[in-house]
Amino acid sequence: MNHAESTEKPRTARELGLASCHLCLKLSADEHHYCDRCGTALHQRRPDSIQRTLALLITASILYIPANVLPIMYTDYLGRTTESTIIGGVITLIEMGSIPIAAVIFIASVMVPLGKLLTLFYLCWSVGYRKPGNERQRTVLYRITEFIGKWSMIDVFVVAVLVALVHLTGLLVFRPGPAALTFAGVVVVTMIAAESFDPRVIWDNKEALDER
Amino acid sequence: METEISNDHKYSIACPSCDLIYDLSEVPVNSSATCSRCGHLLTQTRENEFLRGVCLSFSALVMMLIASSYPFMQFSSAGLENMMTLPRTVVELWINGMPWLAVIVAAFILVIPSIVLTMILVMQLIMLYDVKTPLVAILGKAIFHLNSWSMVEVFFVGVLVSLVKITKMASVVLGVSFWAYSLFALFFVFTMMSLDRFQCWKKIEALS
Repeated sequence: MNHAESTEKPRTARELGLASCHLCLKLSADEHHYCDRCGTALHQRRPDSIQRTLALLITASILYIPANVLPIMYTDYLGRTTESTIIGGVITLIEMGSIPIAAVIFIASVMVPLGKLLTLFYLCWSVGYRKPGNERQRTVLYRITEFIGKWSMIDVFVVAVLVALVHLTGLLVFRPGPAALTFAGVVVVTMIAAESFDPRVIWDNKEALDER
Repeated sequence: METEISNDHKYSIACPSCDLIYDLSEVPVNSSATCSRCGHLLTQTRENEFLRGVCLSFSALVMMLIASSYPFMQFSSAGLENMMTLPRTVVELWINGMPWLAVIVAAFILVIPSIVLTMILVMQLIMLYDVKTPLVAILGKAIFHLNSWSMVEVFFVGVLVSLVKITKMASVVLGVSFWAYSLFALFFVFTMMSLDRFQCWKKIEALS
């Protein structure tokens, strides 16, 4: 792996009056409204990046409450119905002795969504209030958030598989609970939030601070 | 230097994470370029990249076809048994009063992955045989818009977790489709890894 050869003095596309297409990466003059190559709407920075991300984060935080309070799955065993929430499922797994699987579910369903929300809130706050800090670290933080987002869907898929597989009428039946839908909503909304945040504003922040 | 960039920025790229400009006209084969400021992977070049893409996406599609038409798992307890197929995961959610969840699951594990794979296969074939067609740009756009919304590998982990959850309750038999889906998930991840945004669009520009 070799580091890309930068031009004599490192310059950003914005300084040169260029905008990079977020879909095909082509550089076009900033005055253009659409990318020269693929025709996607062209912006130097994603429009209203911080406001949009914040709005979506608040939506996700609200959805996160019913996702944890309401049952994610119902179990009908010999005519008796029991409910289980996300945390309840983790506790059941620990009681069954499957510690590694309990850890997987705990990380994917509790730590990842919470971590994502907190990280994106922190990034919006630190950029919005122009807090100095380690930009590279913040970029890495953002990229982890972006990459890890879809892994929280594990619990929803577990419900989908169990509902389809375990259907022995009269003996044992699994049914999906409302939290499965709201939790899927949390995952989708945080994924869109991560996508609407523009990591380049972290570096714009640094450049603005350097000039001061 | 400055004028050079603005006159011909065909091989220049602005780092998607921090906006620094790089000239990528001379990246050797089988190597990668990383942004020196923020560490973002800018591009990766591979030998026979289009042939690789064709082989991987074709294999993944064949596995997908097998996975969705054979039994996935069988569950039995106290003389009762129930067979599950991949499409039934979606149908059961719909029947149990969660049509929206059914749509989301169907989109993430079946519909989007198969559409993206088919489009990748066609696009890589066009690139491999150097066919000049405007279709390639349309495919490229659709692929790069959709590819963050397939969750094949996540679903696979979900299946493994469900297995652990229920093996203690009754006996589970794994079907042909389970093994096909495992291979599908593997080929799918490799196909996605072999797709380099910068190299793809450079080729698309040359073809359209």
